[in-house]
Amino acid sequence: MDAFDAAGVKLYTLSYDEADALADYSKAMGATFTMLSDPNSDVIRAFGILNTLIPPDEHPWYGIPFPGAYVIDANGVIVAKFFEHNFGARTGPERLLDAALGRRFEVEPAASPAEQVSVDVILDADRLLSGSIHEIVATFRVPEGQHLYGEPVPDGLVAATIEVDDVLGIITFALVAPPTSQLTLAGSGETLEIYEGDVVLRLPIAQNGRTMEKVDGKRYVDISGRVRWQACDDVECGLPQSQSFDFRIEAGFPVLGDMGPGVGRVPEMNGAAHFQKLIDRRK
Amino acid sequence: MDIRVDTRGRESGPPGYFEDADNFLMPLAPNTKSRRIPDGDFPTGPEVGTRLPEVVAVDQHGHSVDLHADRGGQPAVLVFSRSAVW
Repeated sequence: MDAFDAAGVKLYTLSYDEADALADYSKAMGATFTMLSDPNSDVIRAFGILNTLIPPDEHPWYGIPFPGAYVIDANGVIVAKFFEHNFGARTGPERLLDAALGRRFEVEPAASPAEQVSVDVILDADRLLSGSIHEIVATFRVPEGQHLYGEPVPDGLVAATIEVDDVLGIITFALVAPPTSQLTLAGSGETLEIYEGDVVLRLPIAQNGRTMEKVDGKRYVDISGRVRWQACDDVECGLPQSQSFDFRIEAGFPVLGDMGPGVGRVPEMNGAAHFQKLIDRRK
Repeated sequence: MDIRVDTRGRESGPPGYFEDADNFLMPLAPNTKSRRIPDGDFPTGPEVGTRLPEVVAVDQHGHSVDLHADRGGQPAVLVFSRSAVW
């Protein structure tokens, strides 16, 4: 939240909860962002995202949205939205903030010109909560006059990409990449998708709670893999390259409201009473 | 849009746990009342490039908030979540 404040980005959440439930939640969790109450799902309906997999007579679930997030710029125009196919996974705050600041694919100019391609790979989080989607961010520095390839590539060339080792409990999503430009070969007339200059690739990733290792009371997950690329100039192509990465990152489960078990372990927000109200309010 | 429920899942992991088609593990089957995930497309609301519709709702302090007025010309993120209660 501090990062959102510092960046001048406002954060709102909206749910079908009553305002007093949101009050107890924000107090218990120390949430400082604005939580909006839409008990009749009017806003949810106006957006056209009422979850129609739940029939109207199914209390108390009916009225929830298909979960997702919109990012808008200073003019109120939607610049990105994040809706996941699997509701067990939600976009993490770092992705939302990066989108709000328009810094998804920008690269700071290098201090000195690169002589060969170099890659910096980071994970955009200090902590990986189960179901929260973060990103592996690979920044390729490409010397002037050279280019990398994007998908699709013809046989024999390697597109720049991020691969994560297949480990039970680590889930990856489709690679997010900036638009390519086209290079048409003089000889064959074949068109290639290329990245000229520095380029950022992002691989969304989440852990689903199955792979955490407990060490000294803290949980961790290991994420390993490699980035691949091939750099060419107008005359010739270099060999395909790869560079490994290996992150050990603190992990955990998200903290939920106090619905019964867990007294003393989770912040108390009077959850059972609020849940009862959700059951009763449309009877 | 014809939206179907994804019923693919099986018991897996600790007793009483279920794994869905994407290997997410939860103490609920994928087609449990509170946990229905779509098998295929589902509506995601207004498109990128359009203005976010007006949002006026009561906040946790009981005040009516007009999102576009409240953000005061700043960029913003609006998250639609299931519930703060469950």
